[in-house]
Amino acid sequence: MKRINWTAYAQSLAAPLLAIGVGLLVGAIAIWAVGGSVGTTYAEMWKGAFGSFYFTASTLTRATPIILTALGVSLAFRAGFFNLGAEGQMVFGALAAALAALYVPGPGPVKMLAAVAAGMLAGGLWSLLAGWLDTRFRMNLLITTLLLNYIAVYTAGYLVAFPLKEKGGTGGAQTAMLDNSAWLPKLFADTTLHAGFIVAIAAAVLLALFLTFTTKGYEIRMLGSNPLFAAYGGVKRGQLMLVSMLLSGALAGLAGTFEVLGTQYRYIDNMLTSPGYAWSGIMATLLAGSNPIGSVLAAILLAALQTGGMGVERNTEVPLEISSVIQSSLILFVSARITFSFIKWRKARAANGNAA
Amino acid sequence: MGTLLDWSLLSATLWKVAPLLLAALAGALCARVGIFNVALEGMMLIGAFTAILGNDLFGNVALAVLFACFCVGLVSLLFAYLTIGLRANAIVVGMAINFLATGLTAFLLYAIFGVKGQYRDSTMSGLPQWHIPVIQDIPVVGELLSGHTPLVYLAFLLVAVLQFVLFRTVIGFRLLAVGENPAAAKSLGLKIRGYQYGAVVFGGVLCGLAGAQLSLGQVTLFTENMTAGRGFIALVATMLGQSNPLGVMASSLLFGFLDTVSTRLQGSSIPTHFTMMFPYVMTIVVMLFFKDKTYLRQSGRLDGK
Repeated sequence: MKRINWTAYAQSLAAPLLAIGVGLLVGAIAIWAVGGSVGTTYAEMWKGAFGSFYFTASTLTRATPIILTALGVSLAFRAGFFNLGAEGQMVFGALAAALAALYVPGPGPVKMLAAVAAGMLAGGLWSLLAGWLDTRFRMNLLITTLLLNYIAVYTAGYLVAFPLKEKGGTGGAQTAMLDNSAWLPKLFADTTLHAGFIVAIAAAVLLALFLTFTTKGYEIRMLGSNPLFAAYGGVKRGQLMLVSMLLSGALAGLAGTFEVLGTQYRYIDNMLTSPGYAWSGIMATLLAGSNPIGSVLAAILLAALQTGGMGVERNTEVPLEISSVIQSSLILFVSARITFSFIKWRKARAANGNAA
Repeated sequence: MGTLLDWSLLSATLWKVAPLLLAALAGALCARVGIFNVALEGMMLIGAFTAILGNDLFGNVALAVLFACFCVGLVSLLFAYLTIGLRANAIVVGMAINFLATGLTAFLLYAIFGVKGQYRDSTMSGLPQWHIPVIQDIPVVGELLSGHTPLVYLAFLLVAVLQFVLFRTVIGFRLLAVGENPAAAKSLGLKIRGYQYGAVVFGGVLCGLAGAQLSLGQVTLFTENMTAGRGFIALVATMLGQSNPLGVMASSLLFGFLDTVSTRLQGSSIPTHFTMMFPYVMTIVVMLFFKDKTYLRQSGRLDGK
C-alpha cells in the first residue's frame, strides 16, 4: 500500500510540473518564432512576476480574484456542473458591492460588511438563476451561464455609463469613489496586496475542509463523480445544484467585491472583464482538477504568468500575449492528463484478458 | 432607417446566418457521433484569423478559405485526438481549445501583423459576391437570394447534402449508429473511432468556413475575439435543431434574424448596451420556449459524452 501511495504522490506532483514544462516549451517556441531571445524573455517574465517584493505583491494581488473565482468554479465542477458564468457573477457582485459601500450609512466596517454581503448575494443570485433555469426548465447550464455573462456585462456597463455614473466626474463609465473608511486594508505598506488575499486563502482551506469532511460536501462530490450512485443514495440533484450554484456564484461575487474594496475603490466598467479574471479562474480550476488548494497554486501560477507577461512586454519585443499562449498550452496538456490513468486502466483490463 | 422590417433585413439575415449555420452543422455532426463539441467558438475564431492570414500570404481568396479549413482541420484533429484518442473530457478539452484560440490568435496577430486588437488591410479583397443571372432581376427574390458570398450558398447547400447523407445513405446510417449505440455499431464491425474522427475533423473544416465567412464575408478584417460567443449560440442552434440539419438550419435562421434585428436597432434611440445584449437575451428566451429533448441525455453528466 505504502509504495502505491508514494507513486500517487509522485504522480500528482509530477503531472503539474510536466505540464508547466510543456507550457514553457511551447512558449519558448513562440518566443523563438517572433525572433525574441528565450532566455532573456523568461528572465524578464520571472522578474516581472517575482523580481522584487513589490512585483511579488502585485502578482498575489492579481491572484486574489482568480483564487476566489477558481474556488467557486471548483465547487460547481465538483458537483458536476459546468458553471462558466463566473464573469457575470463577478461583475454583478462588484457592482452591488460598490453600491452598498456607497449608499449604506454607518461607519467603515459596516459599509464593508454590507458590501461583502451585497456582493456575494448578487453573484450568488445571478448564478442561482442559471441553476434554477436548469432544474425548472432543463436549460443547459453551460450555455445559460455563458449567455448570462454577456447580459450581466452589458447591463452593468449600461448602469455605470448612465444612471449610476459618478456625478460631475471627469472619468469614464464608473461609479463614485468609495469613502476610504470602507477600503480593505493593505497587507504591506506601498504594495497593492490587500486583506482580500488572506480571505481567499482562508476560503480555499474552508472549501477543502467542507468538501472532505461534511455531509453536504460528500454529497456534492458524489453527485459530480457518479450521478446515478448519488441518486440511488437519495441525493436530490436539483436542490444540491441550487446550493452549489449559489455558493459558486457567491465566491465569484466576493472576488468582484474585493476588487472594488481593495484595488479600485469604485466600480469601473471593464475593470474585471479586460484583465479576464473570471476566465483565469476557470483556467486555474481546470489546471488544478477542481481541487481547492491546488486552485490556489494554479491561480498564483497564472497570475505570475500574466504579471510576468507585462514585464516581458515592457522590456522586450515579445508581446504580452505570450502569457496566453503558455497558459492555454498548459491547460490543453493538463486536460489530456486525466487520460494517463485511463490508459493504465485500459491496459490493466487488457492484461486481465477481458478487454472491451 | 425608416421601417424596422424590410426585405434587406431578411437578406442581411442570410449572410449573418451563414457562419452560425456552418458552425451549428459542425456541432450537429459531432453530436451525432456522441461528442459534445464546445470548441466550435475557438475553431471559428482560428478560422477567421487563418482566413485573413491566408489571404495575406497567398493574395487569393479561394486559397485563403482552403488555408483556413486546413488550419482548423488540424486544430480539430487535436481536439479529436484528445477526446477520442485519449478519452479526455470533451468539455474540458473544448474549453482548453477555446482558450488556446483566443491566446494564439492574439499572439499571432501581433507576431505576424504587428498590431493589437484589430487587423485591417484596405487593399485586401474579401469573398466575392455572386450575382445570380436571372434571379437577381426578380424584384424581391433577387434582393433576397442574390449577391451573397459563395460560402452563404455553400452553407445552405450543405444542409441539403448533410440531410441526405445522414438519413439516406449507408455511411449516414453507420454514422448515426455510432452515436446512438456504440456497442451495437461495434458489433457490426464499424470503426467507431474512425467515424468520430471523421465527424470532428469535417466539423473543423466547417468551422474554418464559418470563420472565413466572418472575417472575409461582409467585412475584411480580423478583430480579437471577433466570434463573440457565436460558437456557443451555434451550439444552442444545434441543440434546438435536435442535431438534424434541417432543424439546425431553422434554429440558425432564427438566431441570424435576431442578430440582424439587434444590428438594426443600433440606429435607434435604444442604448447600445441593450442592442448588444439583445441576441443573448433572445437566445435564452428561445431556449425557454423550445425545449431540447436530447439535452436530458446530457444533463448531470460531467463527461459530456
